[in-house]
Amino acid sequence: MSQGRWRDRAGDDAVARPVHRAAPALNDLLTAVARGDERAYDAVYDLTSGWVLGIARKVLRDPALAEEVMQEVMLEVWRLASRFDPARGSGTSWVMTLAHRRAVDLVRSERSHAVRELRAATAVIDYDDVTEAVEASLEAERVQRCLSSLTSLQRECVSLAYYGGYTYAEVAELLGVPSGTVKTRMRDGLIKLRDCLGVP
Amino acid sequence: MASGDHDLHMLAGAYALDAVADDERARFTEHLAGCALCRAEVGEFREAAARLGTAQAVRPRPELRDPVIRSALNTGQAGPVIAERQGSPTASRRRRVPVLLTAAAAAVAAAIGIGTHYADVADQRSATRARTVATVLSAPDAVLRMAHVRSGGMAVVVTSRREHMAVFFANGLRSLPGAKRYELWLMGPNGERPAGMLAVHRKDMAGPALITGMSAGDMVGLTVEPASGSLRPTSAPVVLVRQGRP
Repeated sequence: MSQGRWRDRAGDDAVARPVHRAAPALNDLLTAVARGDERAYDAVYDLTSGWVLGIARKVLRDPALAEEVMQEVMLEVWRLASRFDPARGSGTSWVMTLAHRRAVDLVRSERSHAVRELRAATAVIDYDDVTEAVEASLEAERVQRCLSSLTSLQRECVSLAYYGGYTYAEVAELLGVPSGTVKTRMRDGLIKLRDCLGVP
Repeated sequence: MASGDHDLHMLAGAYALDAVADDERARFTEHLAGCALCRAEVGEFREAAARLGTAQAVRPRPELRDPVIRSALNTGQAGPVIAERQGSPTASRRRRVPVLLTAAAAAVAAAIGIGTHYADVADQRSATRARTVATVLSAPDAVLRMAHVRSGGMAVVVTSRREHMAVFFANGLRSLPGAKRYELWLMGPNGERPAGMLAVHRKDMAGPALITGMSAGDMVGLTVEPASGSLRPTSAPVVLVRQGRP
């Protein structure tokens, strides 16, 4: 069964495979999934579920909740595959946008309940930690290197937004910086990241 | 106007990082429809942001793989939305409504024309039903939620608040003795309302079951009832799925 197939794959480093090399294959796979191709979906699951779980854990800081988000996002990938348009962006970006949106929506609705202050404090202390569970990979190293080429304010703005799930207005409050400044630092930071990572 | 546009343009980074409030997100999405430069920039920023995400990859527990894939394959897929290509969700809505009205009108006309021909009426009904399921699965505001069923299996609910409807799927459900059946419920601030019997077919797969008349705060519940169905649940739900955020 597919359980066995997973075990076959467990030896190779599927999760930590460099993203840019997986990208063209993922685009084709998602296009096939949009036509209801079940085997293509198996492959999409193997390629992307680790990415989705990773960002969900980073944003939510709750392994059980992150697992739930991963499962729902993977189901959404199946349901919404016809919305993926390779002309508008890569499959990686499409899947990660779904995953990040879901995680951020969830963390914000949680924060709007009582824990807001506590979470804010935690995030400031360890926003740039390296998650214990991150699989060592060239890709992760490269991203770290590119992140460290940003000014510290750019890096804080980008990290608090993407990994912390904060809005730019919340980031401004946390850092005590005008929100207009945060907006532009996020944009400048992403321009640097884009160039450093060689985004096509 | 020009300075407003400039301000909006500066939002591209925050937007690509999902770091904007809901109302700003909606405004910027509308702005994107008419700004090719912004679309290109957001696209590149999303690629960069995605790499921040994939760098955090962790391997999921292997035992999740099978149930998730089985659930996905049992869940319907949304159709492509051509009008959404350029952004504005309102534009796509406007374009879709006449199509649906035409389809509904055709179904009604056909049903009246055919009169007493029972089988054709039933066909029309199931065709209309299938179209309605497709509408919910493709709704721009549709949100999918998944939950484990206490007695075994997984339930998936896709809800569209705009349509006040949901579609329920399940797989791996425990099979029931002949005198019992699964029944769906809406459970929320407006009390508990029956939402139809759930037909289990193809081994342990069930759905799509269309649930209508959903209101804010309603959860979808599944209980085991006498085969004839109940007007109120007579047992505790084996699964209760809350609506997702829109």
